[in-house]
Amino acid sequence: MSTSKNNTSKQLLWVGMAGISMFFAGLTSAVIVRSAEHGWNSIDMPIWFWRSTIAIVLSSILLIIAQNQVKKGNTPTVYIVGALVLGLFFGYCQLMGWKQLTAEGMYFIGEGSNPASSFLYVITFAHLLHVIGGLIALLVTSVKAVQSKYTKENYLGIELTSIYWHFLDLLWVYLFVFLLYSVK
Amino acid sequence: MTNILIALVLILLIATLVQVLRVSELLSELKNQDVNEVTNKDNATQSRILLIVGTLFLGSVVWQFVNWIPLMLPPASSVHGAVIDSLMQFTMLLIIFVFFITQPLLFWYGYKYNKSKENPIAFFYPHNNKLEVIWTVVPSIVLTAVILYGLSAWDKITNADTTDSQIIELYAKQFDWTARYAGEDNTLGFSNYKLVKGPNQLGVDLTDVFAQDDVVIKEVHLAVNKPVLLKMRSRDVIHSAFLPHFRVQMNCVPGMITQFAFTPTQTTAEMKIQEGEDFEFVLLCNKICGAAHYNMQMKFVVETEEEYTAWMASQKTVNNTLTKKQ
Amino acid sequence: MSDHHKETFLNKYVFSLDHKMIAKQFLITGMLMGIIGMLMSILFRLQLSNPGESFAVLEWFLGSKWAPGGILDPNMYLSLVTMHGTILVFWVLTAGLTGTFANFLIPLQIGARDMASGFLNMLSYWFFFVATVVLLCSLFVETGPASAGWTIYPPLSALPQAIPGSGLGQDLWLVAIALFIVSSLLGGLNYIVTILNLRTKGMSMSRLPLTMWAILITAILGVLSFPVLLSAALLLIFDRSFGTSFYLSDIIIGGETLHNTGGSPVLFEHLFWFLGHPEVYIILLPSLGIVSEVMSVNSRKPIFGYKAMVGAMLAIAFLSFVVWGHHMFITGMDPFLGSVFTFTTLLIAIPSAVKVFNYLATLWKGSIRFTPAMLFTIGFVSTFLTGGLTGLILGDSALDINVHDTYFVVGHFHIVMGLSAIYGMFSGVYHWFPKMYGRMMNKKLGYLHFWVTFISAYGVFFPMHFLGLAGLPRRYYTNSAFPMFDGLSDINEIITFFAIIGGLVQLVFVFNFFYSIFKGTKASSNPWKANTLEWTTPIERIHGNWPGEIPEVYRWPYDYSKPGADEDFIMQTEPLKEGEIEH
Repeated sequence: MSTSKNNTSKQLLWVGMAGISMFFAGLTSAVIVRSAEHGWNSIDMPIWFWRSTIAIVLSSILLIIAQNQVKKGNTPTVYIVGALVLGLFFGYCQLMGWKQLTAEGMYFIGEGSNPASSFLYVITFAHLLHVIGGLIALLVTSVKAVQSKYTKENYLGIELTSIYWHFLDLLWVYLFVFLLYSVK
Repeated sequence: MTNILIALVLILLIATLVQVLRVSELLSELKNQDVNEVTNKDNATQSRILLIVGTLFLGSVVWQFVNWIPLMLPPASSVHGAVIDSLMQFTMLLIIFVFFITQPLLFWYGYKYNKSKENPIAFFYPHNNKLEVIWTVVPSIVLTAVILYGLSAWDKITNADTTDSQIIELYAKQFDWTARYAGEDNTLGFSNYKLVKGPNQLGVDLTDVFAQDDVVIKEVHLAVNKPVLLKMRSRDVIHSAFLPHFRVQMNCVPGMITQFAFTPTQTTAEMKIQEGEDFEFVLLCNKICGAAHYNMQMKFVVETEEEYTAWMASQKTVNNTLTKKQ
Repeated sequence: MSDHHKETFLNKYVFSLDHKMIAKQFLITGMLMGIIGMLMSILFRLQLSNPGESFAVLEWFLGSKWAPGGILDPNMYLSLVTMHGTILVFWVLTAGLTGTFANFLIPLQIGARDMASGFLNMLSYWFFFVATVVLLCSLFVETGPASAGWTIYPPLSALPQAIPGSGLGQDLWLVAIALFIVSSLLGGLNYIVTILNLRTKGMSMSRLPLTMWAILITAILGVLSFPVLLSAALLLIFDRSFGTSFYLSDIIIGGETLHNTGGSPVLFEHLFWFLGHPEVYIILLPSLGIVSEVMSVNSRKPIFGYKAMVGAMLAIAFLSFVVWGHHMFITGMDPFLGSVFTFTTLLIAIPSAVKVFNYLATLWKGSIRFTPAMLFTIGFVSTFLTGGLTGLILGDSALDINVHDTYFVVGHFHIVMGLSAIYGMFSGVYHWFPKMYGRMMNKKLGYLHFWVTFISAYGVFFPMHFLGLAGLPRRYYTNSAFPMFDGLSDINEIITFFAIIGGLVQLVFVFNFFYSIFKGTKASSNPWKANTLEWTTPIERIHGNWPGEIPEVYRWPYDYSKPGADEDFIMQTEPLKEGEIEH
């Protein structure tokens, strides 16, 4: 019973992530089309977005370690909580990145905005919204880990959270590199 | 009061229907029949109705063609339009042919193979790969022909030689059209939406030397057999320049300039003889643009070259109307 | 599997996790929305065929603001056209059709207790419900509901100054569509994962009923294409409410010069139609699946060419992603692109033709039982043929120049969606009603419904092709502004006449449906003598579908009239006889 539930939960997640990917495919296609037209400015990528990239990659690594630990029968708690903390730091970096953009005169809307800056905000904002979902998952998983709910036999919650979090990580890396290239 | 009466009538109607159904069910129970069982009698009746309705349907299609073809647009009044009309005729004949073979087959099979004492069991025939290949390959060949014909027509239309074309801008806004001829230099003056002010409704850059001989006007005249290149733009929302008699259509998009090249082949006078005194070539808007979308029109007149030259000579240029007034 | 939770009204009928109840929720919501959408079309048809004439019924429904003196306001005309399209395309033909049959049939036909996640499934319905409420609320706002067409192209849909409906009405529309997309995705997740994972023993993919294949492919299409509409809508929301310039540029509206530069309305069109085209196949495919089932059961013959049918659906699904540009031939896009889209669009005709030939071959030498469901299935084939053939003209870019956005297009898409796909839906309802409610729908009312619908519907939409070839544009409040259309008023009157009759007869169906739920004659558990698994469940419908073990499957679903069998059908649960070869 649990194996088939494992399978279906993971597959539900995979299909959901396929859908989310298409959403971002739509947005990035829009960037490609628009950047080919006149009036596309170049933007210096805020240093904070570099920091957030490192943060999310590190947090994914921590989750990988967590999963390995629980497979061996050890407690994964510290790693999951660590990933959560880094995830929150990712969010913080994004906010600081936006703050840095506005300080440099790159606004989302109105005077001082331009298509490139608008897209930059929209895409990073849309990603952050999905990250919030991931943070909630990490929180739940952390709480359960603290309560020692995960065993060598059953750590589905960690698996699901990890899959989604790795997805958000890879998605961010793709978006980051894409935007870096598009607004240079 | 009327509302209450209407509601009462509706309720009574529904109640009546319910009772009628209940009665028919009870009657069937008495006769020991299932009122909803589909019997061989039903199959016979319904299959007959299918054949009759199917035939009437096909007959009605013929009737519609016969009665309404005279209402169609007259043959195209442009060079590329004739290409489109030929392609249309070819494709129409093809689909009508397929239509009048497959629909009768459908109705006929439905009629002939109804379940009955004579036809109690079906023929177990799950697949035939050879047939699948045939009815994949044959449509593919036919469609290849259609595609090649279509693409060659499209290429002729979109890759027309516009080196000698008279350039005319069509400016769309809620809810009218304005045209701007490129004048003697056949180059449209630069325009910018921020320059729209007072009499300069098209935002023409009055400092641009190419703009000076442009002619802004509310009725378009064309010389027959002379190529034209329409350049479209819009002030507010997407509109679409639709000139059905010339087989011309192109969206007018704010922030973009689109274009369509064509050569008129018949004068308005000729068309009036053919279609009646009231005939006019007309430009319509064909993309939903607001409340008066249904009434955005501009007249197009096609005339002989002499008439056209005379008409053009009497029009005022931007220099005379806008620049000097500044 | 036994259920320990106490059944309250709330968790049985409202927040049910049972796929069968959720299916009915989708069905009834879809039907009610269908009535509203149909009513809108009658209202605007009255205006079209009798311009300037006063109709009390218009003022009765729309009030004195939008139909003063019984004459329809032009802005409200465009709102009605917009909402009619939105409701019928999304609410009825997507959620109503897929939501009903995917939810109802998947566990039953593959042999599962329920969907992979009953919770996500329930959420899927409730997001749909909230979307419905939001959309219906938009009908009552002061500036009117959205009115830029169901295709909501900016700048018209972005600027309230361009048309009043683009104010609050459009905001609510966008919120409703966002919720709708979430609902659709949540549903799609379940459909895909359940079909792939929870099939019973022996139910290999090649023994799946074609309905399951159709729904699986539909769900994949949805997951890949709806999110792109969401991204298009998101950028539109930003342009409307936050002053960005994704789609807007160089605009003067209502006397005001807007600051936006660099935006492109054509970008919206690309993003919209990237969903928009697969969407019409999301609408059509479930009906193709349903019709395959109903035709086979009622011809007492296997559906001809099972593998070809699956292959054709896969080909259609794949191609549906690369044809969206045929909605944009005259947007000013690069002519080379136009050629590419013409090529791919005309290609899609091939698998569609293959399916039609397979249907004809199924009927040939069948022993056809004319249930109302079967009549609608035959109607489906007729209308799919008609509509598909006119698609050849529209898909050809050179020909599209003069028929784009005319009544030729309106005729085409109504025949394939408003006729074909809806006939598939009706067919499914009549066919599976006994399984849904344990009772039969009334046969005579079903016959009446079919024949009047079939005749009226062709009466409405076939003449439209002629209007289009006469150059008549769509979305025109009246045709009386151009003398060139004066000769077409007779055709318009015929269309409205049939529209009213066709609209009224749908009430017969609605009556039959609800009457039969309570008073229909009791059904047996397999009234159509069909082979598929859903007909092995007890007629009383229980959670978990089968009282004991889920049956095992030994053969494909189409052993009808197989030589050597005792009856003219062999259920999938029958083991092969000694020496019997499986198809």
